[in-house]
Amino acid sequence: MRTKRSHGLRALAVLAAAGMLATACASDRDDSSADEKNENQPLIFAAPGDARSLDPFYATDGETFRVTRQMYNTLLKHEAGGSEIVGDLAKDWSQNDEGTVWTFDLHDNVTFHDDEKFNAEAVCANYDHWFNLSGDFQDSNVSYYWQTIFGGFAENESDDIPPANYVSCTAEEEFKVVIEVDKYSASLPGGFSMAAFGIMSPKVLDAQADMEVTGEPGAFEFPEYSQDPDAVAGTGPYRAVGWDKSSQEITLERFDDYWAEPAGIKTLIIKTISDENARKQALEAGDIHGYDLVAPADVEPLKSAGFEVPDRGVFNVLYMAYQQEGNEALEDLQVRQALAHAVNRQRIVDSLLPEGSEVATQFMPPTLTGWSENVTEYEYDTDKAVDLLADAGYSDLTIDFCYPTEVTRPYMPAPRDIYDIIKGDLEAAGITVEEESMPWGDYVAHTDAGGCSLYLLGWTGDFNEAYNFIGTWFGDYDRGWGFRNDEIFDAMDAVANEPDPAARETMYIELNETIMDFLPGLPISSSPPSIAFSADLNPPTTSPLTQENFAEATWK
Amino acid sequence: MSTKTDKIDRLAELTAAKRTDQGHGESLWREAFKRLRRSPMAIAGTIVVGIFIVIAIVGPYIAPFDPVSQTWGDEVFPNKNTFVGPRAENWLGLDHLGRDQFSRMVIGARQSLMVGVVATLLGFAFGALLGGIAGAAAGLGKRWGRRLDTVLMRFTDMMLAIPALLLAVSVAALMGQSLATVMIAVGVAQVPIFARLLRGSMLSQAHSDYVLAAKATGIKRRRIVLAHILPNSMGPVLVQATLTLATAIIDAAALSYLGLGSPDQSTPEWGTMLADAQRFLSGAPQLAIYPAVAIIITALGFTLLGEAMRESLDPKLRK
Repeated sequence: MRTKRSHGLRALAVLAAAGMLATACASDRDDSSADEKNENQPLIFAAPGDARSLDPFYATDGETFRVTRQMYNTLLKHEAGGSEIVGDLAKDWSQNDEGTVWTFDLHDNVTFHDDEKFNAEAVCANYDHWFNLSGDFQDSNVSYYWQTIFGGFAENESDDIPPANYVSCTAEEEFKVVIEVDKYSASLPGGFSMAAFGIMSPKVLDAQADMEVTGEPGAFEFPEYSQDPDAVAGTGPYRAVGWDKSSQEITLERFDDYWAEPAGIKTLIIKTISDENARKQALEAGDIHGYDLVAPADVEPLKSAGFEVPDRGVFNVLYMAYQQEGNEALEDLQVRQALAHAVNRQRIVDSLLPEGSEVATQFMPPTLTGWSENVTEYEYDTDKAVDLLADAGYSDLTIDFCYPTEVTRPYMPAPRDIYDIIKGDLEAAGITVEEESMPWGDYVAHTDAGGCSLYLLGWTGDFNEAYNFIGTWFGDYDRGWGFRNDEIFDAMDAVANEPDPAARETMYIELNETIMDFLPGLPISSSPPSIAFSADLNPPTTSPLTQENFAEATWK
Repeated sequence: MSTKTDKIDRLAELTAAKRTDQGHGESLWREAFKRLRRSPMAIAGTIVVGIFIVIAIVGPYIAPFDPVSQTWGDEVFPNKNTFVGPRAENWLGLDHLGRDQFSRMVIGARQSLMVGVVATLLGFAFGALLGGIAGAAAGLGKRWGRRLDTVLMRFTDMMLAIPALLLAVSVAALMGQSLATVMIAVGVAQVPIFARLLRGSMLSQAHSDYVLAAKATGIKRRRIVLAHILPNSMGPVLVQATLTLATAIIDAAALSYLGLGSPDQSTPEWGTMLADAQRFLSGAPQLAIYPAVAIIITALGFTLLGEAMRESLDPKLRK
């Protein structure tokens, strides 16, 4: 069935999709059996942004993972609709007391999309392949998650790369694999569930042995095969059959030999519609069957029009970062406290964020283990802010404050409005705010490099471990925050290597309290990002981690 | 493009033609003004423009509230489509951040007027300079003069070939977001129109009898251009300036609407208000209607005034 020619296949896929649409319409008109319609009607889901690669390893963004999650499996995954870790390709797993040796019992009935058999060797082929990457693949823009979870490579080619924590992968039996790491890491076992570590067919890895990254650091182009649906093969319920970059559509088709419950809908099309209103209109017009990141104000109107807007749960944090290095005043704790008291966070939650949002008291959502009830809280009090500024000698503080344009994030539905409220609050406390805005891509690079004194940013958790939140920001010196606090860094180091979950919880609680006393930034809110589906669909279980599995969806 | 160029040239010719049947002893300008006073279009235009200018000048004094202070911030809930409409305290209701909409409208008038006037002045100044040089060079110069004229005019033709708004958007995108950018962008888009208009007008003057007479009496060329041709060529340019004010205000609003306007929120501006309101169109259409209506009425006022001026200067309508 599969041909080597991608263009031919793509054209075929388009024809097939058109044919399906036509037959779908025809069956509507003819009023023929509902089953036939259900079989052929593609599920079209609109995403706010483009995927970047069909090999998830290179990606860091949710839009790529949304697609690849349907195509690949990982060793572990999160339970549907929750944040508990459960087995995926592994039926069962265990670890030694030190948390350095991880043993996985694998499913024995798994095949790759290219008919290759899945076994322990295949897992090791992937992990060893990642561990032995070299050249530009070692750039953190290409292998971010590998470096975050497993440290460096077999041979680190730059001093900036962290030392390798990954030691080896051994296929002990045909369906039993052991992965060994040097030191326990709080990122495990969560790391094994990262979408970036989707298991690819070893045949693909062999075929791509001489692949390369092209372009300059900061603007890399991923290897060619990662852009070609025919060149990749995972084990997921769907396999990619087409990627039309001009119309920003990725077409996925049910993999009939899937090892677990097969996908309920034969064809899944994930299409980019970046404008929030356009997504809503497309759903209302029936052009699509679902979309992500519904504007909070659209939730009720969509619900009353009969669309499904299921609750998703909270697993993110929006914060206003203080970049201490760029602004001397921010090195003063009193100034940081004054800014925290100046902002009316409750109003942001009440007037801009979706139902179910809440003010964040610390840099993680309350659903995570390690969240502390006793952190120092900074209530909204303009007078107190004014006094603190006066005490610190910064009554006439001028500060630059950045926000991103033309973007909505799961934790930040309306950046400009959130910015406007905070700016108004800061001005009420006598602070002069210098406004700076830029498009999302530039914004992330600019703020990461420490270019803004105050800026809005957030994080959606990858897995259920507090380190995935606070460790991401405060594990070590980071130019985006621009502070060095050894108390925090050391405690973070200790918790990262503590294998005992109970001990980690205590350490996290203490860390959260230390962090909120030091106040490197102001956590603003945790909010559930909204997703909407048409009424004729039994939607997939929604996930607080935004990890929906579309194979669960069926037509009503 | 050619139609645009033709129109401009025709306007220039029209004004030139009136000189030939002049002879009633009354100056063109005085008679034009007389006719202007009797034109209902001019009266309506003047009233609208007058009100607009007065509001722009006294706006900050009559605005009841601070336009940027989110005084009633806890009464509006954009996430639930709950807004506050007109009420005793806030005549036009509140915007999405709980700011007094009436104060914002009134104070926004100055910003919009300023953008319109400065942009028009910019376009006028540079356009008149280009057109003046080209006109003088073509009408009086020798071969080099005609060459200079050709170069300048092909340059303006190139600019004219690009639609004005597109040109403004390109300039704004190149220069980044600021109020000055909007003014420059809108102004640049007007340069070729003024340039062509003045050149055409000057060229037709150059062949008129009084210039011939001046030449015959031995007056120096420079004096002929500066003292005779140029002042007599300004009529259509002034009319165009009035009409441009209207389009400049609309273009500036369009740039702000497209997100290329001034990012500075400390002073409200109608175009930005309109752009902001777009997101709340279903919940609070009034937030878009106020600035939109204000922009339309103002632009209409300037257009009426400009049209009336054009008519009053049109020799075909003279007695």
